[in-house]
Order: sequence, then C-alpha cells, then structure tokens
Amino acid sequence: MTADADRRIPTVGHFSLWGLGQSEIGMAALTFIVLGLLPIFVSGYSIYILPQYMLFGVMAMSLGLLWGFVGILSFGQAGFFALGAYTMGLAMQLDLGVNPAYIGMLLSLVVGGTLAAVAGYFLFSAGVRATYFVLVTLALSIMVEQIAVSQSEITGGWNGMFIDRMSLTFGALGEISLYDDAPAYYAVLPVVVVTYALLRYLASARFGKVLVGIRENEDRLTALGYNVSVYKTGAFALSGAIACFAGALYGTHASFVAPSLGGVLFSTEVVVWVAIGGRNSLLGALMGGILVSALSNYVSTITPEYWQLVLGFIFIFVIVFFKGGVAGAVAQLPRLWQSRI
Amino acid sequence: METAISVVVDATLITLVLALAAFGLAIIYGLVGVINMGHGAFLTLGAYLTWAATTSGVPFILAVAIAAIGVGIVGLIFEHLIIRHFYDKPFDTLLLTWAFFLVMTEIIKIVFGTDFRNVANPLPGAIDLGAVKIPAYRGLVGLIGLALVGGTAFVFYRTTLGIKIRALVQNREVASLLGLNIARMYKLVFAIGACAAGLAGGLLSPMLSVDPYIGNVFLVRSFFVVIVGGVGQLLGGTLVGSFFIGGSETLFALFSKQVFAQTVVFLLAIVILRFRPAGILRQK
Repeated sequence: MTADADRRIPTVGHFSLWGLGQSEIGMAALTFIVLGLLPIFVSGYSIYILPQYMLFGVMAMSLGLLWGFVGILSFGQAGFFALGAYTMGLAMQLDLGVNPAYIGMLLSLVVGGTLAAVAGYFLFSAGVRATYFVLVTLALSIMVEQIAVSQSEITGGWNGMFIDRMSLTFGALGEISLYDDAPAYYAVLPVVVVTYALLRYLASARFGKVLVGIRENEDRLTALGYNVSVYKTGAFALSGAIACFAGALYGTHASFVAPSLGGVLFSTEVVVWVAIGGRNSLLGALMGGILVSALSNYVSTITPEYWQLVLGFIFIFVIVFFKGGVAGAVAQLPRLWQSRI
Repeated sequence: METAISVVVDATLITLVLALAAFGLAIIYGLVGVINMGHGAFLTLGAYLTWAATTSGVPFILAVAIAAIGVGIVGLIFEHLIIRHFYDKPFDTLLLTWAFFLVMTEIIKIVFGTDFRNVANPLPGAIDLGAVKIPAYRGLVGLIGLALVGGTAFVFYRTTLGIKIRALVQNREVASLLGLNIARMYKLVFAIGACAAGLAGGLLSPMLSVDPYIGNVFLVRSFFVVIVGGVGQLLGGTLVGSFFIGGSETLFALFSKQVFAQTVVFLLAIVILRFRPAGILRQK
C-alpha cells in the first residue's frame, strides 16, 4: 500500500513536465535557430509582426509556468500584459536623463511582479481554491480593462495610448534605434530565448521541483514542511512579471495600446493557445502562443467568425481528448511507436 | 432625503435584477458544482432569442418563454454531450464551459450579426412613488426576480422534486443508494439552471443594448454574487450576494464613475472571498 503510494511521487525527469522529454531542448534550439535566420529569407510584414507574436509566446510561457508546473490556471495574464504596455507608455513620457524605455522595462517587471505577489499571497495564504483563483484573475483582467477605460486622462480611455518605438542606448557607446523592423526583431528574439532558458532552468532547479510537487500532491508537500503558499506566490509573481515585461515590449513595438488588450477575451485567448500548444511543455506553450496567434491573425482576415468557432471546437477537443495538447501528443509518439514493435 | 430614498430604491432594484441574472448560475454552481463559465453565453443567447422572436411578431411574454425554453434545451444538449462526463473534474468543467462560451458567442455572431440590437420596452412609463420614479419595466423585472426566488423556495422546500434535489446536494452517494437517479437529476438541474439564465437574458434584454458580449458583464458579477452569498445557498445567499454586489455598486457610483465603482466592488468581493470563502453568511 505505502510502496504503491510512494511510487506515485512524480519523478520530475521523465514526467510530463518536460513534455517532450530531453529532446525538447533540441527542438527549442532548432526553433530559435529558424527564428534567428528567418529575416534573411523573409522580409516585410512578417518581420514586422513576428516579434509581437513572439511576445505573445512569452506571455503564453508565463501561463505555462503557472498551469503546467503548479497546476494553477490564470485568466488574467493579458491583464498583466496590458499593464506592462501602459507602464511602458507612461514611462516613455518621462524625461529623467536616462533612456525612458529602460525605466519602462524595469518598472514593468516591478509592477507586474509586485501586483502578482500581493494578489497571490493574499489569496494563496488563505488556501483559496484553484477555481476561485481563476475567477479572481478573471476579475483582475476586467479591472485592468475598466481602469484603463475610466482613467482616460492618464490612459487615453477607449482611444488608447500611442507609444514610441524604443531604442537601445549603450551610454557613450551610442545607440541602436529599434524603429526599423529587423533591429526590433533581433531585440525581441533574445528576450524569448532568455525567458525560455530561465524557465527551463527553474524547472530543473529545486524551485521547479517543489512546484511540480505542489501540483501533484499539495498536502504532502505541506506535510513535508514546505511553505506551499510562498512557492505558489513566487510562481505567480514570476509569471506576472514576465507577462508584464512582455507587455511593455509589445507596447513599444506595436506603438499602441488600448484597453481591450487587457480584457477578458484576450486573456482567455492565451489560455486557448497554451491548451492547444501543450500546457505541460514550455516549448508547447511558446509555440502555441506564436503559431495560434499568427494563424488567428491570418485566417481572421479571410473568415473571422468561422475561425473563432473552429478554434473553440479545437479547444474543446483538446480538453476532452488531448490534455497535453500538441506537445503532449508529439511526446507520446515515440512511446506509441515503441509499443508497436 | 430624496437622494437617500432614490439610493435605497436603486439598490433594491439592482439587487433584484442581479439576483435574477445570477440565479441560473447559483443553481448550476450551487447544486451540481459546475463552475459554469458559460453562464454569460446563456444570458446572451436568451437575449438574442427574445430579440429574434419579438422582431418576428411574437408577443414579448411569449418571446421570453421561447428564450427560456430554447436556452434550457441548448443547456441540456451541452450537458448530455459533454458536461455529464466531467462532473467529477471541476477544473475541466470550468474550461469546457468556457469553451462553450467561446463557441456559443461565435455562433451568435454568425447567426445574429454583431450589431447592437434593441428589444422594445414592453412596459414603457414609470411608477411614481412620490419622491422617486421607477421605470415600470425595471420594477416589474425586480418583482419577477423576487417571484423566481420565492417560487424556487417553494419547489425546494415543499415538493418531492425539492427533496430529491436537496438529498442530492447533501449526500450524492446515499441519495443514489436510496434509488435516486443521480445522472437524470444532474441533467435536470443543469437544464433548469440554463433555463433560468435564458429567462433572465430575455427579461433583461429590453433594459440593455443587446450585443454578443452582454453576458460577459454579468458573468463575473454573477460569480461574485454566488460566492459572496455562499455557494449552495440558493435563496438567501443569492439575495444577500446580489444586495452586497449591487448595493455597494450603487453606493460607490455616488462618489465616482460607474466603471470605477465596479472595480472597487470587485476588489471588495475578492477580499470577502479571501476571508469568507463560504460566503458572508457562514463562518467557514
């Protein structure tokens, strides 16, 4: 009996956390190389728009961290994303002698991380149920949207806010304007790679293992003396900071932010991307964010209503039959193949 | 004095309207434990069916009845195809009902278009109460909300069906051992909840501009109504929760913009959810 129960402890190494097992790193490297070489072969609109999809992918990874590692679902990631964009917009209006974009980037990390930490600890320390947490995060994203609408003196209300493209300054060494699409592309790509690497590292570190433990058996982790609410809060704070940071970069890249960026619909679109891409795999989340948003944008120009409908049905299909999403299905392929032999 | 009276009247009306809007959710969430994120879509569908029926010449009351039954049937189909397989997994039902919302919203957009639709007010005019005037239809909807809650109380405590439902909520296993067909009861309760939401959507439609996302406005508020009032406390809970959410919104709206008042109320509701997860009526 006890031996049986013990065997059920997740061994992080081969468990679904990696999604694709060890081969995920290889696939991720391949993906990043392809993304890195893409501007050589393609130009124009694709190179302009891809960084925005990549930032959506970063936001998707921030959800993947929560949903895949800890098993907490947030319907409020776009709220943080929009918050970051507005933070960047406001910071760009400052004149402090320092590059305002740097201040905006720093502020977005602080703002997103702090807000998520406060909200997270407030809820987790009381042991609020996972389903209630979803509702609260849904309310958070509605609140971001409502505040953006109602505080129109600051945010521009429904009309939105225009934000300049940022430039990278290196003190006396000069500066690189990100006004053109190719430099902007190569500024965003490293952010994606670094975020992915950071989250991968965290997954293999103690922190990630404890998070997975919480997902699998919260009571046991509590009994073992882990302060579960602190770990959950840490994960949510990190996730909020990442989403907010990605939002800040998105704001300056898209040069515009409107309240709907933080709204319920966009927030839940993120959930759909991650569910389809694979909630237990960071690469799955990232690719879900990039590909599904790109595909949505592309197909929407042809048939807006039917695409959303199809997406909704795919979402149902994934939840009912393919919990692991595309990444989970791909990860199972070798095992299926082996069992045939 | 006059502001005081008008605030009280406003708060009462909003409480009853919210109670009506949240009632379908209170049934589905409180009785069968499904976190129904599709509640907003049920409301929207009810409003559109009412609009479609009235524009093709059906009298308003009949149109609302059609809407309630129509949404009830849609809920029944959804339950039968998907939800019934997931009652044991609340998190999956949350996602699935949200997916239902996405799909239903798109179907509504395809069938009815995305323009604002208006349902003509079936009862124009106002009731003069001396100090304040209440729009007659709003007053009527409030009364219907009250009647709905009262009627449910009757069904709940005075009929065989009520006993069965209470048995189901109290102890599912024992109820099924005693010969209650659990699967059928769940189906019935889910359909009744959908029906109530459709009815609410239909009744609310003359008071709003109908667009494919009107249900969203009520979704989170309905959830807070149910949680603040206490999940499973169908009658008192719904009224207390609605009074809390609607009443405080009216109060805050006196000092700030409506939108901002809603934000403050959401914050308050989150605080309550943290300290009283079982609702303000219960200790724990």
